[in-house]
Amino acid sequence: MASTTARTGRDAIAMAVLSSRFESVARKMQNTLFRTARSGILNSAHDFSCVILTADCRLLAAAESLPIHTLIGPDLMCAAVKRHHPRPRRGDCFLHNSPYEGNSHPADHCLIVPVVDDEGMLRYFVLAKAHQADCGNARPSTYLADVADVYEEGALIFSATKVQADYQDNEDIIRMCQARIRVPEQWWGDYLAALGSVRIGEAGVLALGREVGWERLDDYAEAWFDYSERRMAAAIRRLPSGRATARAAHDPFPGLPDGIPIKVEVEIDGEAGRISVDLRDNPDCQPCGLNLTEGTAVSAAMVGIFNGIMDHGVPANAGSFRRLDIKVRENCCVGIPRHPASCSVATTNLADRVTNPVQRAIADIAPGFGMAETGPIMPPGIGVISGRDPRRDGEPFVNQVHLAISGGAGTPASDGFLSIIHAGNAGLCRVDGVEVDELHHPLIVASRRLVPDTEGAGAYRGALSIHGEFGPIEGCSMRVLYTMDGAINTAAGAAGGLPGAPPRAEKRERNGELTPLPSCYGLLLEPGERVVSQSAAGGGYGPPRARLPERVLSDVSEGWLSVERAKEVYGVVVTGDGAGDAFAIDAAATAALRAAAAAE
Amino acid sequence: MRLACDTGGTFTDLVVEHDGEIRQFKSSTVPVDPVQGVLDVLAIAADDYGLERSAFLGAATTFIHGTTRAINAILTGNTAKTAFLTTAGHPDVLVIREGGRIEPFNFTVPYPEPYVPRRLTFEVAERIDAQGRVVQPLDEDSVLAIIERLKALEVEAVGVCLLWSVVNPEHERRVGQLLAEHLPDLSVTLSHVLNPTLREYRRASATVIDASLKPLMFAYLNGLTERLRASGFNGRTLMVTSGGGIMDAEAVARAPIHAINSGPAMAPVAGRFYADRDFASDVAIVADTGGTSYDVSLVREGRIPWTRETWLGQRFRGHMTGFPSVDVKSIGAGGGSIAWVDSGGLLKVGPNSAGSTPGPVAYGKGGSEPTVTDCALILGHIDADFFLGGAMALDRDAAAAALDEKVAKRLGLPVEEAAAAVIALATEKMVGAIDEITVNQGIDPASAVLVGGGGAAGLNAVAVGRRLGCAGVLIPEAGPVLSAAGALMSELSSDHAQMLFTTSDRFDETGVNGVLAALERRCEAFAAGPGEGAVETVIEFSVEARYPHQIWEIEVPLASRRIEGPDALAALKIAFHDTHKAIFEICDRRSEVEFVTWRAKVRCRLASGEFGRVLDVVNGAEIAAHRPIYIAGSGWVEGRVARFETMAPDEPVAGPAIVESSFSTVVIDPGTVAVKTAGGGLKVTF
Repeated sequence: MASTTARTGRDAIAMAVLSSRFESVARKMQNTLFRTARSGILNSAHDFSCVILTADCRLLAAAESLPIHTLIGPDLMCAAVKRHHPRPRRGDCFLHNSPYEGNSHPADHCLIVPVVDDEGMLRYFVLAKAHQADCGNARPSTYLADVADVYEEGALIFSATKVQADYQDNEDIIRMCQARIRVPEQWWGDYLAALGSVRIGEAGVLALGREVGWERLDDYAEAWFDYSERRMAAAIRRLPSGRATARAAHDPFPGLPDGIPIKVEVEIDGEAGRISVDLRDNPDCQPCGLNLTEGTAVSAAMVGIFNGIMDHGVPANAGSFRRLDIKVRENCCVGIPRHPASCSVATTNLADRVTNPVQRAIADIAPGFGMAETGPIMPPGIGVISGRDPRRDGEPFVNQVHLAISGGAGTPASDGFLSIIHAGNAGLCRVDGVEVDELHHPLIVASRRLVPDTEGAGAYRGALSIHGEFGPIEGCSMRVLYTMDGAINTAAGAAGGLPGAPPRAEKRERNGELTPLPSCYGLLLEPGERVVSQSAAGGGYGPPRARLPERVLSDVSEGWLSVERAKEVYGVVVTGDGAGDAFAIDAAATAALRAAAAAE
Repeated sequence: MRLACDTGGTFTDLVVEHDGEIRQFKSSTVPVDPVQGVLDVLAIAADDYGLERSAFLGAATTFIHGTTRAINAILTGNTAKTAFLTTAGHPDVLVIREGGRIEPFNFTVPYPEPYVPRRLTFEVAERIDAQGRVVQPLDEDSVLAIIERLKALEVEAVGVCLLWSVVNPEHERRVGQLLAEHLPDLSVTLSHVLNPTLREYRRASATVIDASLKPLMFAYLNGLTERLRASGFNGRTLMVTSGGGIMDAEAVARAPIHAINSGPAMAPVAGRFYADRDFASDVAIVADTGGTSYDVSLVREGRIPWTRETWLGQRFRGHMTGFPSVDVKSIGAGGGSIAWVDSGGLLKVGPNSAGSTPGPVAYGKGGSEPTVTDCALILGHIDADFFLGGAMALDRDAAAAALDEKVAKRLGLPVEEAAAAVIALATEKMVGAIDEITVNQGIDPASAVLVGGGGAAGLNAVAVGRRLGCAGVLIPEAGPVLSAAGALMSELSSDHAQMLFTTSDRFDETGVNGVLAALERRCEAFAAGPGEGAVETVIEFSVEARYPHQIWEIEVPLASRRIEGPDALAALKIAFHDTHKAIFEICDRRSEVEFVTWRAKVRCRLASGEFGRVLDVVNGAEIAAHRPIYIAGSGWVEGRVARFETMAPDEPVAGPAIVESSFSTVVIDPGTVAVKTAGGGLKVTF
């Protein structure tokens, strides 16, 4: 008996060590990409993912990769590689960004390397997905919403294109990219960074296989998938069974006067430990760039589930996914896109419009679970900037900035995470520093600060909006393109929580006046002019009057919340003022106010 | 004679090196007056050398000090009331940070609070741009208005971090002058002086952390040096830094952020030395068990673990210090950790500690909460009459009564079983901490030796090592005072850096060689000043370089002190490509290279020759050859008790047994074997 236990314990340790080894390889891949990339979107904002899959294309390890990039998608893309290249060889590397074959939006270039053992057998895949500063679109942005199809969008599309054989570049493809992608030198540097990442990953997995033995590694992978599935089943069994339908809508955009209404049907089977989400009863692909891909549609629903079950101990891999059933259909704007529908914005806007109602539906079915809605994304503070840099002899620049974005939703256990960025991102990208952006680009950031009284109120409140204001330096004309959702459909609260404030976009004229800007727009700024961005705030979870008075007081002391709003919305009476560093709760008045509100 | 003294939460350790011989001493830490604890242990040492304390101190040339005072102040919220001054329009630098998050689906961990709250953040009307040009002149009236607010709020310290002060420090310097003029007693840190690096969040974070530590660290270090001097010490007082080096105490008082990991940073230095000498292992898990905390680090290929980004607490969840440091993980588990039962009937150990005051129940100094040490005494692992070589008698009955009342009865267990459960739980916590730096990094502990340091290490080091499946456990001869021993092994060093941006296609040879010459002069001045009398001085040059548009540099060593001629430049370019390829698998040989920051590091080795040996001195009471000890799963057994100092190297001790020395007790579990190494350590294999 004792020896059995010891053996099991030793196996458990071996599994823990091997899973960490794979995670560690994925982390090394990430570190390489982050440290060596040339564009700000990669080397500052960290907008990329690195994952490892089994030879039969199941997601095994993802370190801290963006959920919307990686839950589903890498598996479909490796399957595409095998379909087009049935016998991949060591030294091969494939460039893939086709939204019709598993990728997210075409700006996410993936490099996929088959890990082939010394006998020539395919053992694993390593994949690095990196958001490009530019991908050859018709206009200088990696997110074009107001385009009818992929032709108008203009992205270069690669389908499992062999960019390396025997570890040597196919220079023809490199030249194709350089001929079409703006800032070709930066693209080349980013390509090298991603290549370094997958080659480091390949070397790491080969070393692991040689050390541990490929068969033993395979056994481990199966054990790890089984363990992950058991964890997911156990997590779901904590929830009651039930069904709920939740609706959301993307704001009207050019060409979409009514916006895009979205409906999700969520079913939790608590006894069986399974959750299903049906996305099929939704509009067909739309004549715009907002359509999701199969990868982002399914991943978006899964993000809502992982957010909602409140058990972060469940590993996110092909094992735990066995307990989830996401139903999508062909030619659906939140399903499988039909060529030539454009998926230029497939990772963010509409994807969050799938994730958010899923987590809200879970809150409806299971009190104490689920989440409120994350603030809708893409105000100018996270727009794509372009122009010519007067400090570098007029060299062109294009890049997405991550300057002023927030959005975290209230949850059953915490206030909205300030720098969540958007639901599918989970806060894993970074936020740009002012100095780094000003060094990198010919711009100046006039101000950046949190905006008081914008939070979606709740027992746990949503993250506040962030204001950011920036413009070009002398001698530079700068274009800012953005696709801002949420001005009409704000982030809803859950379980009695209230919605977050809408986002805003304005132009600061040279005389200081503000001109409102449309939601989906590209503006040209001359020196002295600035764009003013306010991000959408997150929704709140639970009734605001259930919020602990101490938390309300803290928000007031820090200047996040006005005394008036504390009283009106939260029913907390705060006395004193900031001058003496002495706000306090009037406990008796607060109790009376909250009791009166409860009696209504 | 050289002295190294490490003040922990429970004990103050002293190591004396004299004529190639090491002696070690321990005394209780005095929390209300830690310097008193230092003086106490010095008196004990002086006594051992048969000298008056003043004569003993008079013979010492250096006093190297490590202390957890700075980090404890931060963890317990006892730093100064600190304000943050920032560029107008950017009040949320410490709130917005640089983003980033771990565990995408973990929403139980809230967004971190800023190190300085927003209500103590003030916006200075001014702006400088990336080229260092003044965009908006400094509005001195706005500063004066802020100064009035600082007075009204009775702020004690101020960190000033303005945008681009690293390129043009004019405004920041002027704010510093105004503060000095109007609030002369205020502690101030200016970001461009402390940490002249790009990225406002990490620079601001370093600045406010440093400022918040200044009042207490200045008072502490000032008191220490003055009282040492008053006690007869005429030598030099040095402080251990988070970087694993040593610095003059006055320099640390001016920049106390460098003392944050003072103390724990030294254990890996000593652990590396002993793992190599006594176990011939280049992978070592170095675990330092104090009374209050358990500090672990991983030495691989003989390299001290180093982190470029240091966080107080977890990555993205704590605060960034803005400086690199030795990578040490701490958890609240040690000999003084208190055992308790929570409301749900679950047994817990720590994180609260009885520290040195009142200490474990068995010390009889007023402690009423049972600790890990009390449990070891109950189980017979510690001898009540031979603790610290018999210097302190312990009260086993009191310990048993306290454990019975607070833990055993609530769990419905006999007192011995409860005590064994407490030790087992402490062991699991320690295993978890080590898992994080090994298993979670993909490193199998089976390849490593566990080096147990600290007075309480022996209580469960063998259990921890066996549970991890380590190659073995080593309690080195200076194990009980591991950090202090490491301090004696460390070198005096000083880093100098200067930014000069140039590219390989338009290389500014004159400018670069001017910078290198200036750096060399600064190193030489350090060697002639603080480094005077060193037995060896080494200056190493390097450059931080990158490809165009990259923003993270890599460090490339320079082959010579100057870059003269096209061949030298070509060689440097090749060295950069090669280094890039070695780290990242790729390089771009067609690309030019950007050179950003030029560095010179001077290292001064103060002591010559081999590190000294600990002399085996048998003092204190005689001990019995056997006594009853309690082993989990077996109950009470008659265990062998060996006196470490008299153990012969060829005489293995098989468990269950206890090996006792004047400073520690090592529990040798059943199925394990202990031998004394040639280096005077205790090596346990299983």
